[in-house]
Formats: sequence, C-alpha cells, structure tokens
Amino acid sequence: MLPTFVIVLREAFEAALLLGIVYTYLQKIGRPQHYRYVTAGAVLGVLASIATGVVVSYLSGPLLDLGPDLVTAGILFLSVAVLTWMLVWMRQHARAIKGDVQRRIDEAESRSQLWVIATVAFVGVFREGAETVLFVWGLLAQAAAGAGWASLIGGVLGVAVAAVVALAIFNGSKAVSLPTFFSVTSVLLLLLAAGLFSAGVGRFQGLGLLPLTGELWDTSWLLDEGSFVGTLLHGLAGYRSRPTSLEFGAWSLYLLVAGALLFGSRPTRRSSPRSGIAREATPSNVHLPS
Amino acid sequence: MMTARRRWLVAMAALAIGLAAGAARAAAGPKEIPLTIEGHRFTPAEITVAAGAPVVLVISNKDKAAEEFESRDLRIEKIVPAGKTVRVRIPALKKGAYAFFGDFHPKTAQGRIVAE
Repeated sequence: MLPTFVIVLREAFEAALLLGIVYTYLQKIGRPQHYRYVTAGAVLGVLASIATGVVVSYLSGPLLDLGPDLVTAGILFLSVAVLTWMLVWMRQHARAIKGDVQRRIDEAESRSQLWVIATVAFVGVFREGAETVLFVWGLLAQAAAGAGWASLIGGVLGVAVAAVVALAIFNGSKAVSLPTFFSVTSVLLLLLAAGLFSAGVGRFQGLGLLPLTGELWDTSWLLDEGSFVGTLLHGLAGYRSRPTSLEFGAWSLYLLVAGALLFGSRPTRRSSPRSGIAREATPSNVHLPS
Repeated sequence: MMTARRRWLVAMAALAIGLAAGAARAAAGPKEIPLTIEGHRFTPAEITVAAGAPVVLVISNKDKAAEEFESRDLRIEKIVPAGKTVRVRIPALKKGAYAFFGDFHPKTAQGRIVAE
C-alpha cells in the first residue's frame, strides 16, 4: 500500500501544486469567474491522460518506441514555455495591482491570456498523467485478479493527498498578502520551470539526441534522488543527485535568463509608492502580453 | 511580442521535427539485447555491453500490469505496457555500471547495465 501511495502522490504532486497556485492566482487578482478555465484545462488534462494511457497500450512497433518519448519531451518544453509566460504575466499583474489597476484592465484583454492559465493546468495534469493512468490501471488489473486491493487503496490515497495539498495552498494563501504570494510563487514557478527545462535536456541526452555529458557531482550520499524527499525536490526544482554538466548548464541558464527577465528590470519608481500608484494607474502603462 | 513568440514556436517545432527525424534514423543499426519483465522483475538483471557502442534493449513485459523502465543514470524513462515489447536505445556508454529499475515496482524490478 505504501509504495503505490508514494508513487501516485509523487506523480500527482506537481499537478496539485500548479492547480493550487493558478486557482489562488485568479482569486488574488479578483477573477474567480475564470476558475472554469483552470478546471477545463485540468479536466482536459485528465481526459488526455486517460486517452494517452489507452492509446499507448494499443501502440506497438516504432510508434510505441518513439511516440511517447517525443510527446513527453514536447510536453516538458511546452510546460517550460507556458510557465515562463505565466511568470511574466504574474509579474506584470503584480505591478499593476499595486496601483489597483486590475479593475481597469479590460476584460477582453485579460481573457486573451486565459488560455495560458488553462494550458498551465493542462500540462500540470497531463505531464505525469498518462503514466499515473497506466500505473493505476495495472493496480486495477491486479485487484481484479483478487490481489492488491491494498495497493489500489494506496494509489487512491495518493491522489487524495495531492488534492489536499492543492486545497491547502488555496486556503492557506488566502491570508497571505498579495506581494508575498507573488514573490513566493514566482520563485517556486521559476525553479519548477528550470527543473523541467533541465529534465527536458536530460531526456534528450537519454534519447541520444544530445551527448551524455559527464556528471558534475554526486550528492546521492546526502540526498538520493530515489528517496521520497529527493523525488519531490526533483519534481519541484529539478534536483539531481548526479547531474550531467549539460543538465546543470541548462538549469542555470534558465534561472539566469528567466530570473533576469523577471527581476532584472525592477522599476526604480518602487521606492516611492505614492508616485508609483499615480504612474501605474495609467492604463497605457500596463503592458499585458498579447 | 506576438511575432517573437510565433517565431519561437516555429523554431521549436522545427527543432522537434529535426530531433524526431534524427531519433528515427538512429533507431536502426545497433546490437539488440533482449530484456524480459516477468513477475515485476527483470531478466537478466545484469546486462554487459561493450563500452563506446550504442545498443538497443528490446524490453518485453510479460506481466498483466504496465511497467516503466527507468534509469536515472541514463536519463531514460520508458513505459512498457502490459504484454508489449518496447525498444529502448542506449547511447554509447563510458566504462562503468548504470542502474535501472521498474518505476512502478521499484522494490523488485531492479537491474544494471555494465559497460566494459
């Protein structure tokens, strides 16, 4: 029961984290009416996971050899792209909200961005979703054969605990101030995206599309990647106990570039809140990506 | 902003297609080594390969449950559905041992590739 619980929780944790963040984000910017975009993205993610799980089981030959790998790598890099997009968007909102501009932001203008939110929810669920479906499916098959009910219960509990994590983020961060929420989630998402980027590069190394460069260090004695904390940290921030130089390079490069993009051009007007409000309240000063 | 994003997406798509073509080309050729999953265990549990030459693992899952062939050392994660056979390309390795395991049954499904 415990091993399946850990496996399912691990797969569902990232999805729970992302869903918790995007729901809270919409709530914080005063747009609870857009929850349905997140829900739709998540539901689509579940459906796509089930569909992929079924399709993969019926594939064979070169399609099965290569197809899932390309989908996985594609989803990894798509995740990095939408997370980066969301970071930039959140950053702009964070600036605008200080001037209480959110009410002036044209609904239509912000709606054009909602597909990003929906896609974040989608990739969050779908990224490990198909794997989880196949795993749980296997548990069901074993349970149907008269054995392994405990394992199945473990798997269901894993999903339940992940859902509780998402709820806890949502409820817990209600009391958190907006700037704190934005800062914390920015850092979280930045690390998450960096980890996904380096995981994508690692995947390409495993596929032989990039050379398998030597490992930089070995911290498996300190925190093994296979341990529970290690896998969570791997999912959250791309932790590798034995990273290849290319993986570490990709991870640092992403953090550097995206970090500079987000935090580098910090406006100086911050030092003077009053004038800041006056300036930021001008709609022409709010640059939503379009 | 829009055009920059479009251009970027197009570049990423081109890259993906190029990589797919490269991977497809690379899939033919190297020596094939059978690996069986049965009772949530790998047979053989230890595979010896020549260092410096890529090989292809032909993994057959005889169980009723899906398994995921995973190697952290090799950056490989590969779903092997119940009753299916999957070919996994192992790139040319330096001398050494590379552990792998079944991510869905990590307690029992374990093995390693030794490159000499």
